[in-house]
Amino acid sequence: MSRDSISRRGFVTAGGAALVAGLAGCSGSSSEGASTDSASSSETVKIGVLEDQSGNFALVGDPKYKASMLAIEEINADGGIDGKEIEPVTADPQSDNQRYQELTREYINDEAVDALWAGYSSATREAIRPIINRNEQLYFYTTQYEGGVCDWTTFACGPTARQQLGSVLPYLREEFGPKIYTIAADYNFGQLSADWVKVLANENDAEVIGEEFIPLSESSFGSTISRIQEADPDFVMSMLVGANHTAFYEQKASSGLDVPIGTSTAMAQGYEHRRIDPPAMANIYAGVNYMEEVPTAGNTSDGGFVDRYYEKYPDAPYLNEEAETNYFTTYMYKEAVEQAGTLEQPDVIEALESGISLGTERAPEAPEGGSIELDGATHHVDHHMWVMKADEEHTVEAVTNEKIPEQFLSETVGCDLTQETEQTQYTPVDYFEEAE
Amino acid sequence: MKQALSQARYGIAAVVAVVALFVIGALAAPNLTFRVYYAVSFIVLAAIGLAIIFGIMGVINLAHGEFILVGAYATTLSVTKLGVPLPAGMLVGALVTALFGLVVERVIISGYVPNWIGQQTVGRDLIKPFYDRLADSMVATFGLSLIMVQGARIVFGNSINQIGVPFGSTAGYPDYRIALVGITAGVLAVVYLLFTRTDFGTRVRATMQDEQTAMALGINTERTYMLTFAIGSGLAGFTGALFAPLLSMQPTLGSQFLVEAFVAVVVGGASVVVGTSLSGLMLGPIDALFSDEFGEFAGRIALLVAAMLALRFLPGGITGVVDRLRDRMEGGS
Amino acid sequence: MVAASTPSAITRLRNRLEGPNTIGNSRRFWTALALVVVALIAFPVVGGTGSQFSLFLVLGLLGLSLSLVWGYAGVLSFGQVVFFGIGAYTFGVVSINVPTPAGITGAVFAGVLAGAVVAALLGYFMFYGGVRDVYVTIITLVSTLVMLTFMAQTAGSEWTIGSAALGGFNGMPAIPLLTLGIEGVFTFQFVFNDLELFVPVLGVVNIDPFYYLSLAVLLAVYLGLRVLVNMDFGRVLVAIREDEDRTRMFGYDVERAKLVAFTIGGGLAGLSGVLYAARNVYIDPSVFQLYFATLPVVWVSVGGRKSLLGAVSATVAVEYVRLSLGGELALVVVGALLLVSILVLPGGIIPWIDDKLSDGRLDVSDVESPETPPEATEP
Repeated sequence: MSRDSISRRGFVTAGGAALVAGLAGCSGSSSEGASTDSASSSETVKIGVLEDQSGNFALVGDPKYKASMLAIEEINADGGIDGKEIEPVTADPQSDNQRYQELTREYINDEAVDALWAGYSSATREAIRPIINRNEQLYFYTTQYEGGVCDWTTFACGPTARQQLGSVLPYLREEFGPKIYTIAADYNFGQLSADWVKVLANENDAEVIGEEFIPLSESSFGSTISRIQEADPDFVMSMLVGANHTAFYEQKASSGLDVPIGTSTAMAQGYEHRRIDPPAMANIYAGVNYMEEVPTAGNTSDGGFVDRYYEKYPDAPYLNEEAETNYFTTYMYKEAVEQAGTLEQPDVIEALESGISLGTERAPEAPEGGSIELDGATHHVDHHMWVMKADEEHTVEAVTNEKIPEQFLSETVGCDLTQETEQTQYTPVDYFEEAE
Repeated sequence: MKQALSQARYGIAAVVAVVALFVIGALAAPNLTFRVYYAVSFIVLAAIGLAIIFGIMGVINLAHGEFILVGAYATTLSVTKLGVPLPAGMLVGALVTALFGLVVERVIISGYVPNWIGQQTVGRDLIKPFYDRLADSMVATFGLSLIMVQGARIVFGNSINQIGVPFGSTAGYPDYRIALVGITAGVLAVVYLLFTRTDFGTRVRATMQDEQTAMALGINTERTYMLTFAIGSGLAGFTGALFAPLLSMQPTLGSQFLVEAFVAVVVGGASVVVGTSLSGLMLGPIDALFSDEFGEFAGRIALLVAAMLALRFLPGGITGVVDRLRDRMEGGS
Repeated sequence: MVAASTPSAITRLRNRLEGPNTIGNSRRFWTALALVVVALIAFPVVGGTGSQFSLFLVLGLLGLSLSLVWGYAGVLSFGQVVFFGIGAYTFGVVSINVPTPAGITGAVFAGVLAGAVVAALLGYFMFYGGVRDVYVTIITLVSTLVMLTFMAQTAGSEWTIGSAALGGFNGMPAIPLLTLGIEGVFTFQFVFNDLELFVPVLGVVNIDPFYYLSLAVLLAVYLGLRVLVNMDFGRVLVAIREDEDRTRMFGYDVERAKLVAFTIGGGLAGLSGVLYAARNVYIDPSVFQLYFATLPVVWVSVGGRKSLLGAVSATVAVEYVRLSLGGELALVVVGALLLVSILVLPGGIIPWIDDKLSDGRLDVSDVESPETPPEATEP
């Protein structure tokens, strides 16, 4: 709607391909690096954790920090990694990419961390990736994101847009019908997610009848709501992001718009169903790998993940999707180091690429349930995905769940980091006609 | 004074004319017209507190968004924690912010408290009031806004629970927003009467036009400034209270008002009530119509570009145009 | 006779660098400055590679650009970050398209030029349209928000210039490493290229060449601006700052002088942006955010806006404090520092120190002048 599909199509073939070539060419021209001066002989394992505790992303970043600390505490209480205690190095980057860059340099050069967890937003990841790449630093990016990062020292372990939308969109198609209206935040994540909605609509015999992008600074949704009402879709796909966009749900409820809404962003990250008075979030279906309400034995039983989290942080407001990813990746790192028998980062990366899994055979069970595997070729995780529905009282229940592997990099692009040392981010427009 | 009143008369005539146009619009295309109304109300409410403080005291308050935050938090907390009914909670929000503004004025803007301490200890004033020091007041209030945002985060956490929107909807448009439009008109009317029909208003305008003369005539200008800042803060707090059910309650919520507020105040020009209303009436429809026709991105850019063009081609703001129009008409008659 | 009346080269140089418009016109000042420069040159040898400090030096250029525009020409601009960002993005676009040393060197100049050209256009639009005072401030502020809103949505592949994607909110990826020179003659890579240097006693230390590049550029720009503001042109600027109408009465072309100063300021901000993007190998729209746009005003106010030295020192100091403070109270402390410094020393720290050192000697640049009061207003 607010995007001109004709002009876009013209650019895709030439510009898109050139973009990928340019990216690969430039990152390949690196001549210097190899400063993997890890402290393999030292007595502790140094883990850098940079998560926002103030600024715009504090709401979602703070649970990530807390979950990392919980995992580290548990591992240390259980004898550490190969008998070595984990020493967390942390600071508050204040949702400021400049601070992230400086802290990343400091943690790599001065602290010589053995592994780094950093950042909520994709912009943060892209801001620090040049520094990570130059220093060949093992890096875990643990946010649900647009997908497509194929980078041989980066492990993007949150679910991708394709995994999240791929769980909720087919369900809503079956339940309510084929007409979809997409609203998404007007930046990289939202635009790529909207492209994925189109790809998935095509695969599921549905149709996107309207598409709209909202600037991050916008908090009035009158025009959008009335356009949705006029278009009368069977369901809405919402990839709205951030505090300003949260206002949408309240505003659509008070406008009497009661169409079902599928989302990959609401509830699981910023726990809107706890913060906003019911029934604003009623009839919203989130496609997620985890939220506090996910009904698995490892999560909600006595002494499960939720209990352990609130025991350590009794005043914490919520345990969100990203927090779980921080938690289980710390355990995956532990597995990999023990398998490699060293803290040397190239060896640990190789061990991670051998296909680390958590779940039924190896403790602990991933809180999202079943067993989850790290795919060595793409550095992404095959997640256990849930569709979670909020009702009139904002009680959240699971309606369906299934295991969904990462598909874009592995099947469509063919990224294989065990063979090549790529540092690229691929986008769906280069591979799917309908995403144009 | 006569000039001021006659200027206000023409400004009001303009406002009435535009409102009349809107009424006609409401009959023709109700839903779109409601959105335009709401866009205007948002801009006017965002700007009014800032406009009073800036127009009368020459202080640019970069912490304006955080004053709105105080009002929103005070309202929300008094409703959710103390069980106060929402309208009373809103008054609490406005009052708490007014009191907070009073403290800020005494401690920072006028420097009364530090200077009193200075007089007691070293026998001289420590600081100079920020009145009419635009840039310095901007730096000081920027510092204050950093403290307030982080302070709110430390005290209340990354978010507090939100209150629901009262009322339902009419013809697909939320009743609460329609109510907001009416409240906006009420706020403007009260502020207008306060500054034109009361002794306090007369003192304020005298102080604004010529501080020295006003002082010589026995007006306590410092007290006038103090009350003005408190009233401006209280209105910012009331804005926060009104929007509390509509916004995500996070420490950074004030930032979403700042842009509209500054643009509207400066585009409006020298006159507080008339200027702010007129710039709201100009920018609101642009925002709403462009959003409606071309999407939210176009609406946002159109608002900003319109503001730049207005500043460039209407020196002195919209009020300046009203002034010239009046001069021409009265010169001709 | 002739030889005796010609001043020595040093004196001539000092005559150009000194004047009533700058702080530090004594031999003592130049000795102190030389000591500071020597200390800065030695700093990476003892205090790490200097790679973090180079950020503050690069931002010092941004502070200087605002000091010229606001402190000397009296134009309070929130738009320096616009020219900063445009310089950075231009550098990125050109260098990605021509990723050779000569191309990257050209990209540096392109970035500076782009900053200057955009500043000239915006300045022409404002100054020749009779826009003044707070209206200029708000137009520049709004222009940063236009850039922010626009750049944040440029993620799609239609926003690609040559082979350079603008990258939207996630920023511009894959900017080539800053390598200056011409192939076949001489080239040198300035970033991610720590040099090992053997120092007696300390052993081998790593130093970052980019640090020295930014130090040299900052010093050159500082001295260049000193010459500029002590020229006749600088005197006209100060006259405009103090009383625009009177200066016009005297027959000076006020609009042109402001436009020239604004354009130079834009070019300097562009240069700062180029070095910022080169240092971080990354640029994103967050440089257009209100928070970042306010920072230059904060630096220059805290340091003393009528002093180039104040702008540079305060930029380095404020940014150092801002980045090194950690913990929950960090932002509160930064806010309190700003508040207290502007409350207690409204003229800025450096002019205050200068005043104390010169023991009350009246300096033209220290004379307090009230801000132009807003026009008489009606409620």
